[in-house]
Amino acid sequence: MSLKFGVLGLLKGEPLHGYEVKNRFEAMLGGTWEVNIGQIYTTLQRLERDGLVRPIGRRGDRGKLQYELSPEGHKALDQWLAQPDSGPQQLHEDIYVKLLLATRIANGDLKGLLARQKRAYLQRLRDLNRLEERARRDGRVDLARLVRGALLHTEADLKWMDELSSERFGAEEGARTE
Amino acid sequence: MDGRTFFRAFRGGGGGKNGMSELVRLTEVTKVYQGGITGALNGVSLIVEKGEFTAIMGPSGSGKSTLLNLVAGLDRPTSGSVAVGGTDLGKLGESGLARFRRDNIGFVFQFFYLLPNLTSLENVLIPAQLKGSDATARARELLGKLGIQDIADRFPARLSGGQQQRVAIARALINSPTLLLADEPTGALDTHTGDQVMELLGQLNRDGQTILLVTHDAKLATRHAARVISVMDGKIVDDARLESPERAASEVIRVRSEEASR
Repeated sequence: MSLKFGVLGLLKGEPLHGYEVKNRFEAMLGGTWEVNIGQIYTTLQRLERDGLVRPIGRRGDRGKLQYELSPEGHKALDQWLAQPDSGPQQLHEDIYVKLLLATRIANGDLKGLLARQKRAYLQRLRDLNRLEERARRDGRVDLARLVRGALLHTEADLKWMDELSSERFGAEEGARTE
Repeated sequence: MDGRTFFRAFRGGGGGKNGMSELVRLTEVTKVYQGGITGALNGVSLIVEKGEFTAIMGPSGSGKSTLLNLVAGLDRPTSGSVAVGGTDLGKLGESGLARFRRDNIGFVFQFFYLLPNLTSLENVLIPAQLKGSDATARARELLGKLGIQDIADRFPARLSGGQQQRVAIARALINSPTLLLADEPTGALDTHTGDQVMELLGQLNRDGQTILLVTHDAKLATRHAARVISVMDGKIVDDARLESPERAASEVIRVRSEEASR
């Protein structure tokens, strides 16, 4: 979803061809999202099909074909930017399922799982701190903001581990796994 | 900012440069408080090496501040032993303990604890005067290094929180302590000022200062401390040594890896 709008957003500035879109998209994301050129072409083709972008000039070598935003594209982009993210919270990581399974399999003894996960979160915090530092050093304030969000999320994950580790919660587990 | 050599000049007496050497050793330390269990310690053993920046984390009442106070010689354990720089603190009497603190420990508190009727410079000089040494030149240099040379003659009431904490750090460093202890040093500061104070502590550590930090801000702790000790209910439940490799951004954050095809 956001690749589509990311491409639209980049084309709002000026017309670009496929490789420029790919390079600028990856530069904007600071290496946190790598896309292959095929995905970019597919996205541009869909956007063209939906009337949100249009090619400039004659169709030939697709690497040289530039795209620009259509008026509908401008509108779609503005609408998307104005809309808050209100869907369900996305929990992508394995730990959420591991926790549920461990509660059943290990009779509610989550100690080891929680301790290992806590370590991983601490290490991640350190890595994120270094990433934020690097982003600031490179003058990438936008990227530093993104990393800051990840830091706060990881801090919350860490608090969650602590809460689960405290006896209060530990004692309640086990009885209600069915 | 290039303060490396400058900071090194402040390091004072010999720190073990050749690899790790032990500075703090706690052996089976317990601390029981009458009338309550909060802050108690229950069998804590711990070794801190010279040059380490260690963060101690845990919920309030977990015993982390108690741990720091025992290492500082501000409090005595109920049982077990605390040794700093090879000195068994349990063998020291009250005056011996006071001398130990003065010569070996720098302490930074959450609420600064500057004397209100003394200027910044005078506050910084207190520990040196207790030792009977004139350290005015060093105090001024420290203030300069911490970026507050211009407030040397001001009284604490006329300083911001960040400035007061810098004065407190200068005071903690004036006698070139072997160990710098900090108990929630950013707890009374706004985020930005707290970041700056922590950056200073990080810089001190990079120049060799051993630091034990109590905090409950995991973000700040992991930025500067390579070792994070978790305390819960008076026990050490985790002792993590963190790595600092150069990682590609995509190894640390993925904004989104899958794209729904439509």
